[in-house]
Amino acid sequence: MTGILNFNEAEIQAILLSIKVAVLCAVILLPIALWLGYKMARYDFYGKPLIESLIHLPLVMPPVATGYVLLVLLGSNSAFGAWFYDVFGIKLAFSFNAAVIASMVVSFPLIVRSVRIAMEMVDTGLEDASRILGAGRMKTFFRITVPLAMPGIISGTILAFARALGEFGATITFAGNIQGETQTLPLAIFANMQIPGKEAATMRLVVVSVVIAFIAMVLSEWYIKKMKHARR
Amino acid sequence: MLDVDFILARKSFILEIHEQFPKGITGIFGPSGSGKSSLLQTIAGLETPEKGHITIDKEVLYDSNNRLNVAVNKRQIGYVFQEGRLFPHMTVEQNLKYGYSHSHQNGVTLQAVVDLLELNDLLDQKPLHISGGERQRVALGRSLLSSPRILLLDEPFSAVDVNLRNQIIPFITRIVEHLTIPILVVSHDLPDLLKLTNRLFLLKDGKCLGHGDYYDLLKLDSFTGMISSSVLINAIEVVIKDVSKESGMVLLSHENNDENMIKCALRPSLNAVGKAVKVFIHADHIALSVKPLEQVSIQNQLKGTVVEMIPRGEKILCVVDVGFKLVADITSDSRTRLNIQKGREIWCLFKSVAIEVNV
Repeated sequence: MTGILNFNEAEIQAILLSIKVAVLCAVILLPIALWLGYKMARYDFYGKPLIESLIHLPLVMPPVATGYVLLVLLGSNSAFGAWFYDVFGIKLAFSFNAAVIASMVVSFPLIVRSVRIAMEMVDTGLEDASRILGAGRMKTFFRITVPLAMPGIISGTILAFARALGEFGATITFAGNIQGETQTLPLAIFANMQIPGKEAATMRLVVVSVVIAFIAMVLSEWYIKKMKHARR
Repeated sequence: MLDVDFILARKSFILEIHEQFPKGITGIFGPSGSGKSSLLQTIAGLETPEKGHITIDKEVLYDSNNRLNVAVNKRQIGYVFQEGRLFPHMTVEQNLKYGYSHSHQNGVTLQAVVDLLELNDLLDQKPLHISGGERQRVALGRSLLSSPRILLLDEPFSAVDVNLRNQIIPFITRIVEHLTIPILVVSHDLPDLLKLTNRLFLLKDGKCLGHGDYYDLLKLDSFTGMISSSVLINAIEVVIKDVSKESGMVLLSHENNDENMIKCALRPSLNAVGKAVKVFIHADHIALSVKPLEQVSIQNQLKGTVVEMIPRGEKILCVVDVGFKLVADITSDSRTRLNIQKGREIWCLFKSVAIEVNV
Protein backbone atom coordinates (compact mmCIF):
# COMPACT_ATOMS: atom_id res chain seq x y z
CA MET A 1 0.00 0.00 0.00
CA THR A 2 2.98 2.27 0.54
CA GLY A 3 3.47 2.41 -3.21
CA ILE A 4 -0.05 3.53 -3.99
CA LEU A 5 0.94 7.20 -4.26
CA ASN A 6 4.34 6.49 -5.80
CA PHE A 7 3.66 7.76 -9.32
CA ASN A 8 6.46 7.27 -11.79
CA GLU A 9 7.19 9.78 -14.55
CA ALA A 10 5.19 7.95 -17.21
CA GLU A 11 2.13 7.83 -14.94
CA ILE A 12 2.35 11.52 -14.10
CA GLN A 13 2.73 12.29 -17.81
CA ALA A 14 -0.37 10.22 -18.57
CA ILE A 15 -2.41 12.01 -15.89
CA LEU A 16 -1.36 15.50 -17.02
CA LEU A 17 -1.79 14.60 -20.66
CA SER A 18 -5.30 13.27 -20.03
CA ILE A 19 -6.33 16.44 -18.20
CA LYS A 20 -4.80 18.58 -20.96
CA VAL A 21 -6.57 16.63 -23.72
CA ALA A 22 -9.92 16.66 -21.88
CA VAL A 23 -9.75 20.39 -21.03
CA LEU A 24 -8.72 21.34 -24.57
CA CYS A 25 -11.45 19.13 -26.02
CA ALA A 26 -14.16 20.72 -23.83
CA VAL A 27 -12.89 24.29 -24.38
CA ILE A 28 -12.71 23.93 -28.18
CA LEU A 29 -16.07 22.14 -28.42
CA LEU A 30 -17.99 24.62 -26.23
CA PRO A 31 -18.30 27.52 -28.73
CA ILE A 32 -19.00 25.10 -31.59
CA ALA A 33 -21.70 23.37 -29.54
CA LEU A 34 -23.25 26.73 -28.52
CA TRP A 35 -23.53 27.78 -32.14
CA LEU A 36 -24.70 24.44 -33.51
CA GLY A 37 -26.99 23.71 -30.53
CA TYR A 38 -28.70 27.08 -31.03
CA LYS A 39 -29.13 26.55 -34.78
CA MET A 40 -30.55 23.07 -34.24
CA ALA A 41 -32.87 24.27 -31.46
CA ARG A 42 -34.22 27.35 -33.25
CA TYR A 43 -34.16 26.76 -36.99
CA ASP A 44 -35.60 24.27 -39.42
CA PHE A 45 -33.56 23.96 -42.56
CA TYR A 46 -33.13 21.65 -45.53
CA GLY A 47 -31.08 18.59 -44.62
CA LYS A 48 -31.49 19.05 -40.85
CA PRO A 49 -32.19 15.32 -40.18
CA LEU A 50 -29.03 14.41 -42.11
CA ILE A 51 -26.89 16.85 -40.08
CA GLU A 52 -28.49 15.51 -36.90
CA SER A 53 -27.61 11.92 -37.84
CA LEU A 54 -24.05 12.92 -38.71
CA ILE A 55 -23.59 14.68 -35.35
CA HIS A 56 -24.85 11.62 -33.47
CA LEU A 57 -22.94 9.06 -35.51
CA PRO A 58 -19.86 8.87 -33.22
CA LEU A 59 -22.21 8.06 -30.33
CA VAL A 60 -23.34 4.80 -31.90
CA MET A 61 -20.25 3.87 -33.92
CA PRO A 62 -17.57 1.65 -32.33
CA PRO A 63 -14.85 4.13 -31.23
CA VAL A 64 -12.19 2.05 -33.00
CA ALA A 65 -14.14 2.49 -36.24
CA THR A 66 -14.34 6.25 -35.59
CA GLY A 67 -10.57 6.29 -35.09
CA TYR A 68 -10.08 4.38 -38.31
CA VAL A 69 -12.28 6.81 -40.27
CA LEU A 70 -10.25 9.70 -38.80
CA LEU A 71 -7.06 7.96 -39.88
CA VAL A 72 -8.39 7.53 -43.42
CA LEU A 73 -9.58 11.15 -43.61
CA LEU A 74 -6.78 12.97 -41.75
CA GLY A 75 -3.81 10.56 -41.75
CA SER A 76 -0.50 11.47 -43.41
CA ASN A 77 -1.43 9.40 -46.47
CA SER A 78 -4.79 11.13 -46.91
CA ALA A 79 -5.15 14.10 -49.24
CA PHE A 80 -6.17 16.46 -46.42
CA GLY A 81 -3.52 15.20 -43.96
CA ALA A 82 -0.77 15.60 -46.59
CA TRP A 83 -1.96 19.07 -47.57
CA PHE A 84 -2.21 20.15 -43.92
CA TYR A 85 1.36 18.97 -43.25
CA ASP A 86 2.66 20.77 -46.37
CA VAL A 87 0.98 24.07 -45.49
CA PHE A 88 1.26 24.20 -41.67
CA GLY A 89 3.99 21.66 -41.00
CA ILE A 90 1.73 19.96 -38.46
CA LYS A 91 1.23 16.21 -38.41
CA LEU A 92 -2.34 15.31 -37.48
CA ALA A 93 -2.30 11.53 -36.99
CA PHE A 94 -0.24 9.83 -34.25
CA SER A 95 0.39 13.08 -32.38
CA PHE A 96 -0.97 15.02 -29.39
CA ASN A 97 -3.28 16.82 -31.88
CA ALA A 98 -4.72 13.45 -32.89
CA ALA A 99 -5.52 12.62 -29.26
CA VAL A 100 -7.45 15.92 -28.95
CA ILE A 101 -9.23 15.46 -32.31
CA ALA A 102 -10.25 11.86 -31.46
CA SER A 103 -11.64 13.00 -28.09
CA MET A 104 -13.47 15.91 -29.72
CA VAL A 105 -15.19 13.72 -32.30
CA VAL A 106 -16.50 11.21 -29.77
CA SER A 107 -17.53 13.91 -27.23
CA PHE A 108 -19.19 16.14 -29.83
CA PRO A 109 -22.66 14.50 -29.86
CA LEU A 110 -22.88 14.62 -26.05
CA ILE A 111 -22.17 18.34 -25.69
CA VAL A 112 -24.27 19.38 -28.72
CA ARG A 113 -27.22 17.34 -27.48
CA SER A 114 -27.08 18.84 -23.97
CA VAL A 115 -26.77 22.40 -25.27
CA ARG A 116 -29.52 21.92 -27.81
CA ILE A 117 -32.00 20.48 -25.30
CA ALA A 118 -31.18 23.25 -22.82
CA MET A 119 -31.76 25.91 -25.49
CA GLU A 120 -35.01 24.31 -26.61
CA MET A 121 -36.21 24.73 -23.01
CA VAL A 122 -35.57 28.49 -23.09
CA ASP A 123 -38.85 30.32 -23.82
CA THR A 124 -38.48 31.96 -27.24
CA GLY A 125 -40.94 34.57 -25.99
CA LEU A 126 -38.18 35.93 -23.74
CA GLU A 127 -35.91 36.22 -26.78
CA ASP A 128 -38.69 38.12 -28.61
CA ALA A 129 -39.07 40.40 -25.58
CA SER A 130 -35.33 41.08 -25.62
CA ARG A 131 -35.33 41.94 -29.33
CA ILE A 132 -38.33 44.24 -28.96
CA LEU A 133 -36.43 46.04 -26.19
CA GLY A 134 -33.76 46.88 -28.78
CA ALA A 135 -31.23 44.09 -28.22
CA GLY A 136 -29.66 42.55 -31.34
CA ARG A 137 -29.31 38.82 -31.91
CA MET A 138 -25.87 38.64 -30.27
CA LYS A 139 -26.91 40.46 -27.09
CA THR A 140 -30.09 38.39 -26.89
CA PHE A 141 -28.04 35.21 -27.31
CA PHE A 142 -25.44 36.02 -24.66
CA ARG A 143 -27.67 37.78 -22.12
CA ILE A 144 -30.89 35.77 -22.39
CA THR A 145 -30.46 32.42 -24.16
CA VAL A 146 -27.05 31.37 -22.80
CA PRO A 147 -27.66 32.32 -19.13
CA LEU A 148 -31.05 30.57 -19.14
CA ALA A 149 -29.58 27.46 -20.78
CA MET A 150 -26.50 27.52 -18.53
CA PRO A 151 -27.24 24.38 -16.45
CA GLY A 152 -27.50 22.32 -19.66
CA ILE A 153 -24.42 23.98 -21.14
CA ILE A 154 -22.37 23.14 -18.03
CA SER A 155 -23.66 19.57 -17.94
CA GLY A 156 -22.77 19.16 -21.61
CA THR A 157 -19.27 20.57 -21.11
CA ILE A 158 -18.62 18.29 -18.13
CA LEU A 159 -19.98 15.35 -20.10
CA ALA A 160 -17.59 16.15 -22.98
CA PHE A 161 -14.70 16.54 -20.50
CA ALA A 162 -15.49 13.19 -18.86
CA ARG A 163 -15.97 11.42 -22.20
CA ALA A 164 -12.58 12.77 -23.41
CA LEU A 165 -11.00 11.59 -20.19
CA GLY A 166 -12.28 8.05 -20.79
CA GLU A 167 -11.68 7.95 -24.55
CA PHE A 168 -9.76 4.87 -25.62
CA GLY A 169 -10.70 3.23 -28.92
CA ALA A 170 -10.55 6.20 -31.30
CA THR A 171 -7.42 7.53 -29.57
CA ILE A 172 -5.40 4.33 -29.80
CA THR A 173 -6.39 3.91 -33.46
CA PHE A 174 -5.85 7.48 -34.63
CA ALA A 175 -3.26 8.80 -32.15
CA GLY A 176 -1.45 5.64 -31.13
CA ASN A 177 -0.08 4.87 -27.67
CA ILE A 178 3.00 7.09 -27.48
CA GLN A 179 4.14 7.74 -23.93
CA GLY A 180 4.25 11.48 -23.13
CA GLU A 181 2.48 12.42 -26.34
CA THR A 182 -0.70 10.40 -26.84
CA GLN A 183 -0.73 7.95 -23.91
CA THR A 184 -3.68 9.22 -21.88
CA LEU A 185 -4.95 7.59 -18.65
CA PRO A 186 -7.04 4.81 -20.24
CA LEU A 187 -4.20 3.96 -22.60
CA ALA A 188 -1.70 3.91 -19.71
CA ILE A 189 -4.05 1.70 -17.67
CA PHE A 190 -4.37 -0.68 -20.62
CA ALA A 191 -0.59 -0.73 -21.19
CA ASN A 192 0.07 -1.44 -17.50
CA MET A 193 -2.51 -4.21 -17.45
CA GLN A 194 -0.58 -6.05 -20.14
CA ILE A 195 2.59 -6.20 -17.99
CA PRO A 196 2.75 -8.66 -15.04
CA GLY A 197 3.67 -6.98 -11.73
CA LYS A 198 2.15 -3.64 -12.70
CA GLU A 199 -1.09 -4.23 -10.74
CA ALA A 200 -0.35 -1.41 -8.24
CA ALA A 201 0.37 1.07 -11.03
CA THR A 202 -2.85 0.04 -12.80
CA MET A 203 -4.83 0.53 -9.60
CA ARG A 204 -3.21 3.96 -8.97
CA LEU A 205 -4.25 5.18 -12.41
CA VAL A 206 -7.78 3.78 -12.05
CA VAL A 207 -8.15 5.61 -8.70
CA VAL A 208 -6.90 8.85 -10.29
CA SER A 209 -9.42 8.46 -13.15
CA VAL A 210 -12.26 8.00 -10.68
CA VAL A 211 -11.13 10.97 -8.56
CA ILE A 212 -10.85 13.36 -11.54
CA ALA A 213 -14.25 12.33 -12.94
CA PHE A 214 -15.80 12.59 -9.48
CA ILE A 215 -14.41 16.08 -8.86
CA ALA A 216 -15.71 17.23 -12.25
CA MET A 217 -19.21 15.90 -11.51
CA VAL A 218 -19.29 17.40 -8.00
CA LEU A 219 -18.14 20.80 -9.28
CA SER A 220 -20.79 20.86 -12.01
CA GLU A 221 -23.57 19.81 -9.62
CA TRP A 222 -22.46 22.47 -7.13
CA TYR A 223 -22.38 25.18 -9.80
CA ILE A 224 -25.79 24.25 -11.24
CA LYS A 225 -27.29 24.25 -7.74
CA LYS A 226 -25.72 27.62 -7.00
CA MET A 227 -27.13 29.04 -10.22
CA LYS A 228 -30.62 27.73 -9.54
CA HIS A 229 -30.42 29.27 -6.10
CA ALA A 230 -29.30 32.63 -7.53
CA ARG A 231 -32.30 32.64 -9.85
CA ARG A 232 -34.69 32.48 -6.92
CA MET B 1 -49.68 58.58 -35.73
CA LEU B 2 -49.44 54.87 -36.50
CA ASP B 3 -50.48 53.93 -40.03
CA VAL B 4 -51.21 50.25 -40.56
CA ASP B 5 -52.22 48.77 -43.90
CA PHE B 6 -51.46 45.10 -44.44
CA ILE B 7 -52.69 41.59 -45.15
CA LEU B 8 -51.43 38.70 -43.05
CA ALA B 9 -52.55 35.18 -43.97
CA ARG B 10 -53.02 32.75 -41.10
CA LYS B 11 -54.29 29.18 -41.26
CA SER B 12 -57.65 29.97 -39.68
CA PHE B 13 -58.18 33.53 -40.96
CA ILE B 14 -56.77 36.37 -43.00
CA LEU B 15 -55.95 39.49 -41.00
CA GLU B 16 -56.66 42.56 -43.10
CA ILE B 17 -56.08 45.95 -41.49
CA HIS B 18 -56.26 49.40 -43.06
CA GLU B 19 -56.30 51.86 -40.17
CA GLN B 20 -54.65 54.86 -38.59
CA PHE B 21 -54.16 55.01 -34.85
CA PRO B 22 -53.71 58.49 -33.35
CA LYS B 23 -51.93 59.41 -30.12
CA GLY B 24 -53.60 58.25 -26.92
CA ILE B 25 -55.18 54.92 -26.07
CA THR B 26 -57.12 52.80 -28.55
CA GLY B 27 -58.76 49.67 -27.17
CA ILE B 28 -58.57 46.68 -29.54
CA PHE B 29 -61.65 44.61 -28.77
CA GLY B 30 -62.77 41.30 -30.22
CA PRO B 31 -63.41 37.66 -29.37
CA SER B 32 -60.59 35.14 -28.94
CA GLY B 33 -58.96 34.16 -32.22
CA SER B 34 -60.04 37.33 -34.02
CA GLY B 35 -56.45 38.38 -34.78
CA LYS B 36 -55.88 40.93 -31.99
CA SER B 37 -52.50 39.56 -30.92
CA SER B 38 -51.44 38.95 -34.53
CA LEU B 39 -52.11 42.64 -35.21
CA LEU B 40 -49.75 43.69 -32.40
CA GLN B 41 -47.13 41.11 -33.36
CA THR B 42 -47.15 42.30 -36.97
CA ILE B 43 -46.70 45.93 -35.90
CA ALA B 44 -43.80 44.86 -33.66
CA GLY B 45 -42.17 42.88 -36.48
CA LEU B 46 -42.58 39.44 -34.89
CA GLU B 47 -44.84 38.47 -37.80
CA THR B 48 -44.24 39.45 -41.42
CA PRO B 49 -47.35 40.29 -43.45
CA GLU B 50 -47.89 39.12 -47.03
CA LYS B 51 -48.12 42.68 -48.29
CA GLY B 52 -48.80 46.24 -47.23
CA HIS B 53 -47.04 48.89 -45.20
CA ILE B 54 -46.63 50.02 -41.58
CA THR B 55 -45.41 53.50 -40.66
CA ILE B 56 -44.95 55.46 -37.44
CA ASP B 57 -44.95 59.24 -37.86
CA LYS B 58 -44.13 58.77 -41.57
CA GLU B 59 -41.13 56.53 -40.81
CA VAL B 60 -41.58 53.30 -42.71
CA LEU B 61 -41.23 50.08 -40.67
CA TYR B 62 -42.50 47.74 -43.34
CA ASP B 63 -43.21 48.20 -47.01
CA SER B 64 -43.73 45.19 -49.26
CA ASN B 65 -43.44 47.27 -52.45
CA ASN B 66 -39.93 48.42 -51.57
CA ARG B 67 -39.02 45.15 -49.82
CA LEU B 68 -38.35 47.06 -46.62
CA ASN B 69 -38.71 45.30 -43.29
CA VAL B 70 -37.08 47.04 -40.31
CA ALA B 71 -35.67 44.52 -37.79
CA VAL B 72 -37.60 43.98 -34.55
CA ASN B 73 -34.85 45.53 -32.42
CA LYS B 74 -34.69 48.67 -34.57
CA ARG B 75 -38.41 49.49 -34.45
CA GLN B 76 -38.47 51.24 -31.05
CA ILE B 77 -41.79 49.77 -30.03
CA GLY B 78 -42.88 49.09 -26.47
CA TYR B 79 -44.62 45.75 -26.07
CA VAL B 80 -46.13 44.44 -22.84
CA PHE B 81 -47.01 40.78 -23.12
CA GLN B 82 -49.91 39.03 -21.44
CA GLU B 83 -47.60 37.17 -19.07
CA GLY B 84 -45.12 40.02 -18.63
CA ARG B 85 -42.14 38.06 -19.96
CA LEU B 86 -39.70 39.40 -17.39
CA PHE B 87 -36.23 37.85 -17.60
CA PRO B 88 -36.21 35.38 -14.69
CA HIS B 89 -32.44 35.46 -14.13
CA MET B 90 -32.35 39.24 -13.63
CA THR B 91 -33.57 41.45 -10.83
CA VAL B 92 -36.41 43.89 -11.37
CA GLU B 93 -33.85 46.70 -11.72
CA GLN B 94 -31.82 44.78 -14.31
CA ASN B 95 -35.05 44.05 -16.19
CA LEU B 96 -35.97 47.73 -16.18
CA LYS B 97 -32.53 48.76 -17.44
CA TYR B 98 -32.35 46.09 -20.16
CA GLY B 99 -33.66 48.21 -23.01
CA TYR B 100 -32.42 51.50 -21.60
CA SER B 101 -28.94 51.75 -23.13
CA HIS B 102 -30.01 50.81 -26.65
CA SER B 103 -32.43 53.58 -27.25
CA HIS B 104 -32.46 57.22 -28.02
CA GLN B 105 -33.53 58.91 -24.83
CA ASN B 106 -37.09 60.14 -24.68
CA GLY B 107 -36.51 61.98 -21.43
CA VAL B 108 -37.93 59.11 -19.37
CA THR B 109 -35.53 58.28 -16.55
CA LEU B 110 -35.29 55.15 -14.47
CA GLN B 111 -36.18 57.12 -11.34
CA ALA B 112 -39.24 58.65 -13.01
CA VAL B 113 -40.53 55.22 -14.05
CA VAL B 114 -39.80 53.75 -10.61
CA ASP B 115 -41.76 56.60 -9.01
CA LEU B 116 -44.60 56.52 -11.53
CA LEU B 117 -45.17 52.78 -11.24
CA GLU B 118 -44.25 52.55 -7.53
CA LEU B 119 -41.49 50.00 -8.07
CA ASN B 120 -39.03 51.23 -5.45
CA ASP B 121 -39.49 48.30 -3.06
CA LEU B 122 -39.20 45.73 -5.83
CA LEU B 123 -35.89 46.73 -7.46
CA ASP B 124 -33.74 44.01 -5.84
CA GLN B 125 -36.34 41.26 -6.20
CA LYS B 126 -36.35 38.48 -8.77
CA PRO B 127 -39.51 38.23 -10.95
CA LEU B 128 -40.39 34.87 -9.39
CA HIS B 129 -40.96 36.55 -6.02
CA ILE B 130 -43.31 39.34 -7.03
CA SER B 131 -47.05 39.19 -7.68
CA GLY B 132 -48.70 39.05 -11.10
CA GLY B 133 -49.79 42.67 -10.88
CA GLU B 134 -46.30 43.80 -9.88
CA ARG B 135 -44.82 41.84 -12.77
CA GLN B 136 -47.10 43.66 -15.23
CA ARG B 137 -46.06 47.01 -13.72
CA VAL B 138 -42.37 46.10 -14.15
CA ALA B 139 -43.06 44.98 -17.75
CA LEU B 140 -44.77 48.33 -18.38
CA GLY B 141 -41.83 50.23 -16.86
CA ARG B 142 -39.32 48.21 -18.88
CA SER B 143 -41.16 49.12 -22.09
CA LEU B 144 -41.34 52.79 -21.17
CA LEU B 145 -37.58 52.91 -20.57
CA SER B 146 -36.85 51.63 -24.08
CA SER B 147 -38.07 55.00 -25.48
CA PRO B 148 -41.00 53.57 -27.43
CA ARG B 149 -42.66 55.51 -30.24
CA ILE B 150 -45.79 53.41 -29.75
CA LEU B 151 -46.85 51.18 -26.90
CA LEU B 152 -48.58 47.83 -27.47
CA LEU B 153 -50.28 46.11 -24.53
CA ASP B 154 -51.39 42.55 -25.27
CA GLU B 155 -54.07 41.43 -22.78
CA PRO B 156 -52.20 43.13 -19.93
CA PHE B 157 -54.91 42.23 -17.43
CA SER B 158 -55.72 38.64 -18.21
CA ALA B 159 -52.89 37.16 -16.13
CA VAL B 160 -54.00 39.01 -13.01
CA ASP B 161 -57.18 38.78 -10.95
CA VAL B 162 -59.92 41.40 -10.86
CA ASN B 163 -58.58 43.29 -7.85
CA LEU B 164 -55.12 43.59 -9.38
CA ARG B 165 -56.57 44.76 -12.69
CA ASN B 166 -58.02 47.73 -10.94
CA GLN B 167 -54.56 48.42 -9.53
CA ILE B 168 -52.86 48.37 -12.94
CA ILE B 169 -55.40 50.46 -14.84
CA PRO B 170 -54.57 53.72 -13.00
CA PHE B 171 -50.88 53.21 -13.84
CA ILE B 172 -51.67 52.94 -17.55
CA THR B 173 -53.79 56.08 -17.26
CA ARG B 174 -50.85 57.85 -15.62
CA ILE B 175 -48.57 56.83 -18.50
CA VAL B 176 -50.91 58.46 -21.01
CA GLU B 177 -50.61 61.71 -19.09
CA HIS B 178 -46.80 61.55 -19.48
CA LEU B 179 -46.34 60.20 -23.00
CA THR B 180 -48.03 61.48 -26.14
CA ILE B 181 -47.70 58.35 -28.25
CA PRO B 182 -50.22 55.92 -29.73
CA ILE B 183 -51.05 53.17 -27.24
CA LEU B 184 -52.90 50.05 -28.40
CA VAL B 185 -54.43 47.90 -25.68
CA VAL B 186 -55.76 44.47 -26.64
CA SER B 187 -58.45 42.86 -24.50
CA HIS B 188 -61.46 40.62 -24.81
CA ASP B 189 -62.89 42.27 -21.69
CA LEU B 190 -64.90 45.36 -22.63
CA PRO B 191 -65.23 46.95 -19.15
CA ASP B 192 -61.44 46.76 -18.72
CA LEU B 193 -60.93 48.58 -22.00
CA LEU B 194 -63.58 51.20 -21.24
CA LYS B 195 -61.82 51.96 -17.97
CA LEU B 196 -58.91 53.13 -20.13
CA THR B 197 -60.55 54.60 -23.21
CA ASN B 198 -63.81 55.13 -25.09
CA ARG B 199 -61.99 54.84 -28.43
CA LEU B 200 -62.36 51.28 -29.64
CA PHE B 201 -61.19 49.27 -32.62
CA LEU B 202 -63.40 46.24 -33.20
CA LEU B 203 -61.88 43.12 -34.71
CA LYS B 204 -63.57 39.88 -35.66
CA ASP B 205 -62.28 37.04 -37.89
CA GLY B 206 -59.36 39.20 -38.95
CA LYS B 207 -61.55 42.07 -40.21
CA CYS B 208 -62.24 45.48 -38.70
CA LEU B 209 -65.91 45.93 -37.79
CA GLY B 210 -65.57 49.51 -36.62
CA HIS B 211 -63.21 52.08 -35.18
CA GLY B 212 -64.32 55.06 -33.14
CA ASP B 213 -66.21 56.19 -30.07
CA TYR B 214 -67.87 53.48 -27.97
CA TYR B 215 -71.32 55.13 -28.09
CA ASP B 216 -71.17 55.45 -31.88
CA LEU B 217 -70.09 51.83 -32.24
CA LEU B 218 -73.09 50.69 -30.21
CA LYS B 219 -75.18 51.37 -33.33
CA LEU B 220 -73.45 48.41 -35.00
CA ASP B 221 -75.35 45.12 -34.71
CA SER B 222 -72.07 43.28 -35.11
CA PHE B 223 -70.72 45.03 -31.99
CA THR B 224 -73.77 44.68 -29.76
CA GLY B 225 -73.99 41.04 -30.84
CA MET B 226 -70.46 40.50 -29.56
CA ILE B 227 -71.15 41.68 -26.01
CA SER B 228 -73.43 40.42 -23.29
CA SER B 229 -75.73 42.68 -21.25
CA SER B 230 -73.61 42.29 -18.16
CA VAL B 231 -70.64 44.07 -19.77
CA LEU B 232 -72.62 46.91 -21.33
CA ILE B 233 -71.48 49.86 -19.30
CA ASN B 234 -71.35 53.62 -19.49
CA ALA B 235 -67.91 55.15 -19.14
CA ILE B 236 -67.96 58.87 -18.36
CA GLU B 237 -65.05 61.23 -17.77
CA VAL B 238 -65.92 63.67 -14.99
CA VAL B 239 -64.35 66.23 -12.65
CA ILE B 240 -65.05 66.38 -8.90
CA LYS B 241 -67.00 69.61 -8.30
CA ASP B 242 -67.95 69.37 -4.66
CA VAL B 243 -67.30 67.10 -1.71
CA SER B 244 -69.74 67.26 1.19
CA LYS B 245 -68.63 65.38 4.26
CA GLU B 246 -71.89 66.22 6.08
CA SER B 247 -74.17 64.61 3.51
CA GLY B 248 -71.58 62.02 2.47
CA MET B 249 -72.09 62.94 -1.19
CA VAL B 250 -69.79 63.97 -4.03
CA LEU B 251 -70.87 66.01 -7.05
CA LEU B 252 -69.31 65.09 -10.42
CA SER B 253 -69.56 67.14 -13.58
CA HIS B 254 -68.87 66.22 -17.22
CA GLU B 255 -67.16 68.97 -19.23
CA ASN B 256 -68.28 71.63 -16.73
CA ASN B 257 -71.92 70.89 -17.40
CA ASP B 258 -73.29 71.95 -14.01
CA GLU B 259 -76.90 71.30 -14.97
CA ASN B 260 -76.73 67.52 -14.98
CA MET B 261 -74.23 66.65 -12.27
CA ILE B 262 -73.80 63.08 -11.04
CA LYS B 263 -74.23 62.48 -7.32
CA CYS B 264 -72.04 59.77 -5.96
CA ALA B 265 -71.49 58.36 -2.47
CA LEU B 266 -68.33 59.74 -0.81
CA ARG B 267 -65.36 57.40 -0.83
CA PRO B 268 -61.65 57.87 -0.05
CA SER B 269 -60.61 58.16 -3.70
CA LEU B 270 -63.09 60.98 -4.33
CA ASN B 271 -61.97 63.62 -1.85
CA ALA B 272 -60.15 66.22 -3.97
CA VAL B 273 -62.19 68.93 -5.70
CA GLY B 274 -60.97 69.48 -9.27
CA LYS B 275 -59.63 65.95 -9.71
CA ALA B 276 -60.48 64.18 -13.00
CA VAL B 277 -61.88 60.66 -12.69
CA LYS B 278 -63.75 58.19 -14.83
CA VAL B 279 -67.03 56.71 -13.58
CA PHE B 280 -68.89 53.64 -14.79
CA ILE B 281 -72.59 52.81 -14.64
CA HIS B 282 -73.96 49.52 -15.94
CA ALA B 283 -76.57 49.94 -18.66
CA ASP B 284 -79.01 47.74 -16.78
CA HIS B 285 -78.61 49.81 -13.59
CA ILE B 286 -80.25 52.80 -15.31
CA ALA B 287 -84.02 53.18 -15.23
CA LEU B 288 -85.94 55.54 -17.53
CA SER B 289 -88.84 57.73 -16.48
CA VAL B 290 -90.98 60.15 -18.46
CA LYS B 291 -91.07 62.55 -15.49
CA PRO B 292 -88.86 63.17 -12.45
CA LEU B 293 -89.81 61.17 -9.38
CA GLU B 294 -90.38 62.75 -5.99
CA GLN B 295 -90.06 61.09 -2.62
CA VAL B 296 -87.73 58.40 -3.88
CA SER B 297 -84.28 57.42 -2.61
CA ILE B 298 -82.68 57.44 -6.07
CA GLN B 299 -80.19 60.33 -6.03
CA ASN B 300 -79.50 60.72 -9.73
CA GLN B 301 -82.29 61.88 -12.01
CA LEU B 302 -80.71 63.31 -15.15
CA LYS B 303 -82.91 64.94 -17.78
CA GLY B 304 -82.03 64.24 -21.40
CA THR B 305 -83.22 63.41 -24.90
CA VAL B 306 -83.38 60.00 -26.52
CA VAL B 307 -80.89 60.08 -29.42
CA GLU B 308 -80.78 56.44 -30.45
CA MET B 309 -82.90 53.32 -30.09
CA ILE B 310 -80.94 50.17 -30.85
CA PRO B 311 -82.93 46.90 -30.91
CA ARG B 312 -81.00 44.04 -29.40
CA GLY B 313 -82.95 40.79 -29.32
CA GLU B 314 -85.85 41.12 -26.89
CA LYS B 315 -84.36 44.28 -25.44
CA ILE B 316 -83.61 47.76 -26.63
CA LEU B 317 -80.55 49.87 -26.02
CA CYS B 318 -81.68 53.40 -25.46
CA VAL B 319 -79.00 56.08 -25.85
CA VAL B 320 -79.91 59.28 -24.01
CA ASP B 321 -78.05 62.59 -24.29
CA VAL B 322 -77.99 64.17 -20.81
CA GLY B 323 -75.07 66.49 -21.62
CA PHE B 324 -73.12 63.30 -22.20
CA LYS B 325 -74.33 60.01 -23.60
CA LEU B 326 -75.85 57.35 -21.37
CA VAL B 327 -76.94 53.96 -22.61
CA ALA B 328 -79.78 52.18 -20.81
CA ASP B 329 -80.90 48.60 -21.40
CA ILE B 330 -84.74 48.41 -21.43
CA THR B 331 -87.34 45.82 -22.44
CA SER B 332 -89.64 46.19 -25.44
CA ASP B 333 -92.50 46.24 -23.00
CA SER B 334 -91.11 49.30 -21.18
CA ARG B 335 -90.60 51.02 -24.48
CA THR B 336 -94.23 50.49 -25.45
CA ARG B 337 -95.62 51.45 -22.02
CA LEU B 338 -93.62 54.67 -21.78
CA ASN B 339 -93.80 55.37 -25.52
CA ILE B 340 -90.07 55.96 -25.69
CA GLN B 341 -88.88 57.09 -29.09
CA LYS B 342 -86.10 59.04 -30.67
CA GLY B 343 -86.23 62.74 -29.74
CA ARG B 344 -88.36 62.20 -26.63
CA GLU B 345 -87.46 63.98 -23.39
CA ILE B 346 -86.69 61.48 -20.65
CA TRP B 347 -85.14 61.13 -17.19
CA CYS B 348 -82.32 58.67 -16.49
CA LEU B 349 -82.50 57.32 -12.96
CA PHE B 350 -79.69 55.55 -11.14
CA LYS B 351 -78.64 55.13 -7.52
CA SER B 352 -75.50 56.83 -6.28
CA VAL B 353 -74.17 53.46 -5.11
CA ALA B 354 -74.49 52.07 -8.66
CA ILE B 355 -71.53 54.20 -9.70
CA GLU B 356 -68.08 52.61 -9.97
CA VAL B 357 -65.05 54.84 -9.92
CA ASN B 358 -61.66 54.41 -11.54
CA VAL B 359 -58.89 56.42 -9.88
